[in-house]
Parts: sequence; structure tokens; C-alpha cells
Amino acid sequence: MGDVHEVPRPRIATAHLAQHIGQPVCFVGRVEKIHPTGKLFVLSDGEGKHTTVELSEPLDEEISGVLEVVGRVTNQATIMCMSYVQFREDKSPFDLELYNEALKIIHEFPEYFPFS
Amino acid sequence: GGYMQSPGGFGSPAGTQAEKKQRIRSQNIVPCTVSQLLAAEQVDETFRICDVEISQVTIMGIIRHAEKAPTNILYKVDDMTAAPMDVRQWVDTDEAGGENVVVPPGTYVKVAGHLRSFQNKKSLVAFKIMPLENMNEFTTHILEIVNAHMILRKNLMSASRAPQSFSSGGISDVGGYGGGGSLPVNGLTAHQSQVLNLIKNCPVPEGMSLQELKLQLHNMSMSTIKQAVEFLSSEGHIYSTVDDDHYKSTDAE
Repeated sequence: MGDVHEVPRPRIATAHLAQHIGQPVCFVGRVEKIHPTGKLFVLSDGEGKHTTVELSEPLDEEISGVLEVVGRVTNQATIMCMSYVQFREDKSPFDLELYNEALKIIHEFPEYFPFS
Repeated sequence: GGYMQSPGGFGSPAGTQAEKKQRIRSQNIVPCTVSQLLAAEQVDETFRICDVEISQVTIMGIIRHAEKAPTNILYKVDDMTAAPMDVRQWVDTDEAGGENVVVPPGTYVKVAGHLRSFQNKKSLVAFKIMPLENMNEFTTHILEIVNAHMILRKNLMSASRAPQSFSSGGISDVGGYGGGGSLPVNGLTAHQSQVLNLIKNCPVPEGMSLQELKLQLHNMSMSTIKQAVEFLSSEGHIYSTVDDDHYKSTDAE
């Protein structure tokens, strides 16, 4: 679990998975469904597109709402999750569509938002 | 927050090829990514990211690790752009009841602090660490980073060549380093920019008179024009010529 957190992890949306096969990434999305085994769940990004996230160990807690996943993109364009964090929404809902717009900006201006 | 220093001080009347590369002295508090801080070059006491001088910065990331020592708390803050950065927060040991609350790992925080480098390793000394209550602030921070660096770099480039108009591609209202209310881009409000542009484009040797400005700027009152002229003059963008009613631009060719 250690190494992927020591390198740059570009923030991406579902559409960018194919360009990052084999690479560490950071993906933010809303929980859509969780597989009964707890080893797989589906997140939707700010454009409503779905990404499958796989875990090496089954989930040991309930997850819901918006998650930020750090992991590596597999050959099947899923994400092998190394860690995740739930975004707090107790005070305000997270605007995932706005986050998606921000992603477009940072992809357009990598000189002002470098991933090393 | 901090405040944006207007680039006006660089419009020196000499303005010739002898001009060295000028840089905007940053008195701002600049939102940055960890990757930008790691890439910042240090010359003597100052740090620079692509020639933009930085000192006070804000970063936003998740706490990966927290270690409490008697005089300080050492955090590792991760914003995904690089490896987590060391952030040190000094503890007030005189405080009665003494315990500084350690922010737990897994919390998203906004850190405001000074960039430091010791034995080639960069770190931050934080004067403020605030857990985020609204994650939309995080999205805003991303946008502010792009905006801030874009504006700061463009200001640098336009200060060192013959500048055209001061419009930049950045969004104009950003909190944290802007100051209040209607934030001017590049330190000039819309009125000031209009007045400056007219003065710049005036070909007459004695420059543009206040009366001329009033004729051309129908929507502006004389007092607004005078205020703009006073500001531009004190910032060094314009100077009076034959009398206090005539002005030329310091950047004119």
C-alpha cells in the first residue's frame, strides 16, 4: 500500500482511464453500487460515467457518497484500489460536476498544476 | 489572506533594453501544489516557481501521518501531485492545559505556511492548519492554483517586455490572495484600465489631458477619472507632463 502514495497520482475521470493503464491515479466519484463480495464497487464521475474499482481485500465498512480512490489502472481499465477516503458531506454536498470541470482545467493547463 | 501587489511599480520611465529580467516581488500568499513547491528553486533566501517569487503558500491535502513531539507536530500532507510533504506546526508550550490538538490522519486540511528548505529537503512551517468542512473548497483550491500561477506568470512576462493591454486569461475574483470586493486583475480596476489605455495610445508629446479623457469616457465622471489618474500616477503607470492636467504613460514607445 505504501509505494503508490509516494508518487504523483494524476486526478482523472472515467474518460481518461485508457490513457493511464498501469499507472497510479486518483479518482473521485460517487458510489453507485457495491458487489456483494465487497471486493468490487462502481463509482460514477462528474459526467455520470462509471468506473469499476477493485479491492484486494473485501470492504470492512459501509461506503456511500463521494469517494476519492488512489490506485493503479488495470489492463481492463478498472482501478485496483490501494486506499480510499470518503469526502465529508455532513455540512455541504460535494459538487462532483464542478470537480469534473476543474479536472478539465488542470488537464488543459498542466504547466500550472503539475503532477511532477 | 494576503493581498496582491500591483505590478505598477515596474513601469520605469527608462524602459529600455538595459532592463534586466524583472520579477514581481510576492507579498501574496500563493496557493500551490506540493509538486510546485518541490520544484521551486532556491536562490539565497528566496524561492521561485518559474521565476515567480513565493514565500507564504497554501496547500490542501490529506493528512497521511501525524507525529507529536514536545515542541511541534509533524504532519505529512498529501495532495496527490507528489509524495506527501512534511508540514511542521510549532506548539505553544506556554499554553495552559498545553495540548495542541493533533489533526488525525485521513483528514483533508488546508495548510497556510512558509516554504523552507533544509539540506535540500523542502518542508512547510505552518501558521495555520484547518480541517476542511466543505470539500467544495478543495475544488476551489484547484482552480485557484491554476488561476494564481497563470496570473503571476503573465504579470512577469508583461512586466519585462513592452506590455500591451493588461488583460489576462485568469478569472478575476479569487479569495485568499486577492483582497476584498471587486477584485481587479493585475491591480487595475476596469476604470483604471480604460484610463490607462487611452493615455497610452495618445500620440501627442504633452500626453493626454483630463478634459480629453472626459470627452472620450462618457460614462465616467470627472472625479472618477481623477481618482483613476491619481492611482495610476502613484503606481508609476503614468506621469504628469506640462501640468497636472496632462499625463503620459510610462510604458509608451
